[in-house]
Amino acid sequence: MAMRQTPLTCSGHTRPVVDLAFSGITPYGYFLISACKDGKPMLRQGDTGDWIGTFLGHKGAVWGATLNNEATKAATAAADFTAKVWDAVTGDEVLTLAHKHIVKSVNFTQDSSCLLTGGNDKIIRIYDLNKPEAEPQEITGHTSAIKKALWCNNDTQILSAADDKTVRLWDRNSTEVVKQLSFDMSVSSMEYIPDGEVLVITYGKTIAFYNALSLDMIKTVDAPASIHSASLHPDKDFFVAGGDDFKLYKFDYGTKEELESYKGHFGPVHCVRFSPDGELYASGSEDGTLRLWQTAVGKTYGLWKCVLPGEFSSIWHGIGKVLTGAWFPPDVMLGIHAKEFNLGFISPENLVSHVLRVL
Amino acid sequence: MSTLVTLLRLPRGPDPNGRGFDPNSTRFVALCPTTISASTETWTDSVEVGEEQRARSALRESFLRTLIAMTNKQVQFHMYERVEVEARFGASDIDVLNFQVSELQTPIGVQKEALLRCQDVISYSFDL
Repeated sequence: MAMRQTPLTCSGHTRPVVDLAFSGITPYGYFLISACKDGKPMLRQGDTGDWIGTFLGHKGAVWGATLNNEATKAATAAADFTAKVWDAVTGDEVLTLAHKHIVKSVNFTQDSSCLLTGGNDKIIRIYDLNKPEAEPQEITGHTSAIKKALWCNNDTQILSAADDKTVRLWDRNSTEVVKQLSFDMSVSSMEYIPDGEVLVITYGKTIAFYNALSLDMIKTVDAPASIHSASLHPDKDFFVAGGDDFKLYKFDYGTKEELESYKGHFGPVHCVRFSPDGELYASGSEDGTLRLWQTAVGKTYGLWKCVLPGEFSSIWHGIGKVLTGAWFPPDVMLGIHAKEFNLGFISPENLVSHVLRVL
Repeated sequence: MSTLVTLLRLPRGPDPNGRGFDPNSTRFVALCPTTISASTETWTDSVEVGEEQRARSALRESFLRTLIAMTNKQVQFHMYERVEVEARFGASDIDVLNFQVSELQTPIGVQKEALLRCQDVISYSFDL
């Protein structure tokens, strides 16, 4: 019996979600931060999508957001010309770093000691978080607004993508360009996978994979629509992408074959990322929601429960009053839409005992 | 027809009244030892916690007493957007989210009864 993907929809934002990032795996699970044009980035539990808190303080659209590996710190980049560092446990603002223009990207080093920022003033800055009043180190060269700046190669180098249609690799100490890639159009997103040194770049309808050290191209894959963001699975067997046609696409990385596509969002997909354990991927859209999708559809994980045919005993606990029901041919299962919006499936033999409990 | 994957429940959404970061969550309690925690590990911890709690109680009590002292007095409220209004203070709600005031003097007239949202108030002052 084929299982159909049920995405988890996380609402709360009131404007488009433009960026999202996962933390590493911590003793308390892993976490997800979302950047939104409503200026209020939110922290959520990564495997369930449960809201944990909202970082209040920015006075403009938040364009970029990131968490450190331990999910103890968060950083955000906003249209109010500041990047802010937050305590991700208490939600308190820890640092405000003033810039001269809209800040688009923020990224922590592995040890969370330095923060990389990039934005519309075309300058990459490195802030020492242990000495925040000190002037940041500046890296100039880009001729257009910077979309994304990421640490790579064990935080010794920096990768940046800008609207000048280039992706540049910089040495952190010399601040010189080591290598540069030029494209015919602006790069829409960039993801760096430290394990294996892979760089995922999207532009137009193409998802391209490069070696992050040499900037040699590994492969490119074309999607059916213009792609805004893509993410490679930690095991490098799949990658997912989303863009203008509101759909999420899942491809086989080895064969470049399109495996699945999912409708669900009501607007273009702006960002998509795999969780650190690869069990799910999150997408942020113009429609203001985040959706969590299972990598292996039907598996029991987080809020998803695998239900085998024949065992329908305790999916929902009969708390809510039954509002509607329908028979689902041809398997003759009763689907019930209960008050708490849980959709449960029940086999006819068990129906009597369940109805008595519910009503 | 293919079956939909079942969900245990939907993800919890934001709390409309607060910004979250529950201080009672296991992560908060474990990573923020400077705030008062329900379980104290050592004797010295419980001494510090005791002192902090005493200070908090004293401050809370004096704040509540100022609210009592303010009833029926003329209070000047200094609010966001350079708003300065004066009113006769009536009462506060239990969570200090709203102040009930009478004869609120505004640039467009005097409001007989009004509710001021506390998050909009920067400061207020009155004569004892």
